[in-house]
Amino acid sequence: MSLSRREFLKSSAAASAAAAIGMSVPAELQAAANQAEGDWRWDKAACRFCGTGCGIMMATKGGKIVAVKGDPAAPVNRGLNCIKGYFNAKIMYGADRLTQPLLRVDENGKFKKDGKFAPVSWERAFDEMEFHIKKALKASGPEGVGVFASGQYTVMEGYAAQKMMKAGFRSNAIDPNARHCMASAVVGFYQTFGIDEPSGCYDDIELTDTIVSWGSNMAEMHPILWSRVTDRKLSDPERVKIINMSTYKHRTSDLADEEIIFTPNTDLALWNYIAREIVYNKPEAIDWDFVQKHIVFCASPVNMGYGMRKAGEKSIKEGKYTALEMQTIDKEMKKVVSATEAPALKPYGYKEGDVMVNENAGLKHWHISFEEYKKFLDPYTLDYVAKISKGNPDEDINEFKRKLQLLADLYIEKDRKVVSFWTMGMNQHTRGTWVNTLAYNVHFLLNKQAKPGSGAFSLTGQPSACGTAREVGTFCHRLPADMMVANPKHREITENRWKIPNGTLNHIGNQDIMRIHRDIEDGYVKFAWVNVCNPYQDTASASHWIKAAREMDNFIVTSDGYPGISAKVSDLILPSAMIYEKWGAYGNAERRTQHWRQQVLPVGDAMSDTWQWVELSKRFTVGDVWGAQPLRGDNSLPDVRQAAYAMGYTDNTTMYEILFANKEAQSYKIDLKSFPQAGYDNTECNGDSRNVVGSDGKVFKGYGFMIHEYLFEEYASFGRGHAHDLADFTTYHKVRGLKWPVVDGKETQWRFNTQYDPYAAKANKEAGTTNSHAFYGTLAKSLAQGNLLGITDTTQLPLANKAKIFARPYMDPPETPDKEYDTWLCTGRVLEHWHTGTMTMRVPELYRAVPEALCYMHPQDAKEKGLKQGGLAWVESRRGKIKARVETRGRNRPSRGLVFVPFFDEKVFINKVCADYTCPQSGQTDFKKCAVKIYQA
Amino acid sequence: MRLLSKVTVGLFTAALLFVGCGNDAKPTAQESVKPTISEESLGLRKTDIYVETDETIGHQANYSTAVAGSGNTIKRAFQDAPPMVPHDTEGMLPITISDNQCTTCHMPEVAESMGATPVPSSHFTDFRPVTSVNAEGRLTKNGKAIVNTTNVNMDDISIKSTGDQLAGSRFNCTLCHAPQSGDDIAVKNTFEPDFTNKDGASASSWNGTKLMEGLDTVNGI
Repeated sequence: MSLSRREFLKSSAAASAAAAIGMSVPAELQAAANQAEGDWRWDKAACRFCGTGCGIMMATKGGKIVAVKGDPAAPVNRGLNCIKGYFNAKIMYGADRLTQPLLRVDENGKFKKDGKFAPVSWERAFDEMEFHIKKALKASGPEGVGVFASGQYTVMEGYAAQKMMKAGFRSNAIDPNARHCMASAVVGFYQTFGIDEPSGCYDDIELTDTIVSWGSNMAEMHPILWSRVTDRKLSDPERVKIINMSTYKHRTSDLADEEIIFTPNTDLALWNYIAREIVYNKPEAIDWDFVQKHIVFCASPVNMGYGMRKAGEKSIKEGKYTALEMQTIDKEMKKVVSATEAPALKPYGYKEGDVMVNENAGLKHWHISFEEYKKFLDPYTLDYVAKISKGNPDEDINEFKRKLQLLADLYIEKDRKVVSFWTMGMNQHTRGTWVNTLAYNVHFLLNKQAKPGSGAFSLTGQPSACGTAREVGTFCHRLPADMMVANPKHREITENRWKIPNGTLNHIGNQDIMRIHRDIEDGYVKFAWVNVCNPYQDTASASHWIKAAREMDNFIVTSDGYPGISAKVSDLILPSAMIYEKWGAYGNAERRTQHWRQQVLPVGDAMSDTWQWVELSKRFTVGDVWGAQPLRGDNSLPDVRQAAYAMGYTDNTTMYEILFANKEAQSYKIDLKSFPQAGYDNTECNGDSRNVVGSDGKVFKGYGFMIHEYLFEEYASFGRGHAHDLADFTTYHKVRGLKWPVVDGKETQWRFNTQYDPYAAKANKEAGTTNSHAFYGTLAKSLAQGNLLGITDTTQLPLANKAKIFARPYMDPPETPDKEYDTWLCTGRVLEHWHTGTMTMRVPELYRAVPEALCYMHPQDAKEKGLKQGGLAWVESRRGKIKARVETRGRNRPSRGLVFVPFFDEKVFINKVCADYTCPQSGQTDFKKCAVKIYQA
Repeated sequence: MRLLSKVTVGLFTAALLFVGCGNDAKPTAQESVKPTISEESLGLRKTDIYVETDETIGHQANYSTAVAGSGNTIKRAFQDAPPMVPHDTEGMLPITISDNQCTTCHMPEVAESMGATPVPSSHFTDFRPVTSVNAEGRLTKNGKAIVNTTNVNMDDISIKSTGDQLAGSRFNCTLCHAPQSGDDIAVKNTFEPDFTNKDGASASSWNGTKLMEGLDTVNGI
């Protein structure tokens, strides 16, 4: 029945004209098609993997997935998926899916920390969790209960987890793996715009003339966006320019007009070089009208350390860190200014050899004059920047300078639209927040931000890092819709909406993901639950955390589809329903929210993470958690039980009744006769034919109300009217996603732009201005005045509707290659595998495509170190070593002096080698650079 | 029917024991629970994860060394799944703007004579509406000003032939098609394809009316 290509071409004109659902097609062909796939059920869904957020079409038959195809109606990917996207079909069918809770026990079946695993009932699993959470609360208070959360949670899962953690346990120790992925971008957004999430959208790709990729191997990591970039390039090869900015050559270089290989961390200098070119050499390119109306200039402290452990912390005092490790960690307290960074730090009063004493700087920043900003830019001459940033020792310096000049010229060229994309290279960075803000500087000066085809655009790594981690607020410091736990007003709004007493929520939100790991190592966090992530494989300095999980007095639980490293180091493993075994929603990097329905029943006794959180909430009452609670230091949380009684709750009212099965929740009805519920399984609401024995030892028959819709709508209510407007649940099931804010049914293409964003229009109207933009975010919009060295006038000046350009200098990373550890190590992903490989390593086609993580290196380095192509080598840092096979001819082609090793392979456990230093402002780990030595194994 | 690996046989047996107790009976958990599953038996790495010794080595790739055109093919994983690369790709990558060696053998006009799988018609189809901003500054798709980039009627679906020109979005062949290392896998996968076409394991059928099939997920087809 398939048309030949010729026939297709003949009919394609008609097809394009009549491409709507009601199009008339030859009856014979239609009938044949229906017959062929008559017993298949097609439905739309979102891809499980990266932050691109592609739509897929998924076919099921007899309760099993049988096929996935591209969705021509999905605006993100228009009928095409990448290799991982197509193989969503197989990710749930690995033969070692977890089907039963597994608990470490002794011969008598009692919990034993060093016991082997035994299958147990869900009831026993919840008994153990309840017992160990209560024990942890007693020992350490709410800060002793932690959750490793996820940018791969569905919106509903993340919302349920955050509600139970923050309202129930009153613990803010819930932080997502998105901390490792997007935190620097987030702080960049907050500091620059006063509100999170990108201004642009993917349509920028089709509308732009220039794509500059900064620290982002889009060709492998955002493959469908790269296919759009490629399509755009091929449509007008002369006009459209692609520049790849990277520390090593990779597939994104292959289609680029120019690649600029720079030394790790010097992206800071490169952005400032472009800004200097504008300000000093092409001042006429500055759009002063735009800048004066919309921009202020700011500075912040430079001596803020690197987010490492500090002297005096318990595990350091106890000698858990070796002398070698301390060589790097000591820089957290103080460091010597190097010759490389000295010129950049001169305006701050430092010279080479000075000792910089680091202090906690927080997020403090202040207003400076343009003249002060100009003074700050002075050092970034072409000579200085080229000298410190040329990353390929074999490249001629003049050729490198030519490229830098070209880069600046492309940005500056009048009427040339430019999009700067970045991902982990700029986020996983000990100055990640800084370099994110530097990107906006250049676009702002040129008035090339938040406009069709122009803008600095942070790409997300994970499928719902935006939707769940950030917008739902499953970070330790956040609440839904950009609200903060530290803000009393925000807590009150949340408490009122959640119908919990004022004073319930914890005001201290500082347990980010590295802090939770470190608190476990210090013995402070006694209970930790891993949700939809794999922190024991994906966190740097991994040896410390896997050891702490096993050797300290604690109880670690991992919920997962498959047994990864995190499951292995846990005390209890819970079998989770995977993506298409549950209803869900994700939010992608262009603010697009996408929902899907449950396509099949979960395997074995697996249940969704939403169900696991809701069942846990049945075990805790007002009396258990709402009395006075101790916090570290001199802090505490008040007893709110009297207020709870006044609200009609008693000591015995469960968190389930208050947070999840309240009157409002019950109003979301099961309706199996209508769209979207008709014809689809809904395990949490109705139970299912597996008759899983639940947390009370009885067959789980469902909650009896539409909990997915309730959780989504309650979450969405926080953002509606506050520039985060989402459409309603049912609408999302009808369309291929919408980009928020969705106001009056209309999505927003370019935020902050008065022409496109109703909130920008409103902000201008209220201010009585007619500006082209309004950067209406409200965070840190009142600042003191000063110069590069600090605040000189504490008078707070309001900056309504303005964005910020920051003076932030080049600084060295805490570890650079030396005589002993002579090579840079960069880590990351490959196209065929997702993160730690728990899903993709179980898909035969993806496994066979890349069965192991390789050490990509320059052939001459290999030769000089006595290593052979395909031979085994040790990759060793001050923290540990792993073995990997040497690849000198692969897809990644580093210059001399740098190697790349991906992190998906359990057997090549590269995060044991990486360092857990972070951007001190965002808490995001720098996985992109540390010093290693490499030798034959 | 579940297919089980060696590892999960134990789990499944235990699960049967529970079901045997009766669904409504509270399991007498502690008596029936025995520590049978070691940490090492779980997951992909079967060696100690706390120390790195000589035993822990990645699974060395063993890609085909067959030259392109020698007639090998790899069965498609399911109907219209992208086919995997059955031949050696040494010297054929990377794909650059000026040099896409895959097309020299796989373009439909030469594929048969080269013994290569022909690029199917879906790759000569542009599904992305032309995107621009009109004089009023409105976002347009195929010349029509739009409010949302997606709507319930799906009347923004755009299917256009690119003639003999490979669709630009499909230029990066390695996006979907990868060489395969031998037959070994770490864990079995129990997915079962359901080919609707007789030659579904070897050829694409995603063309013509099938491009639109199943897309109306509100009203169904």
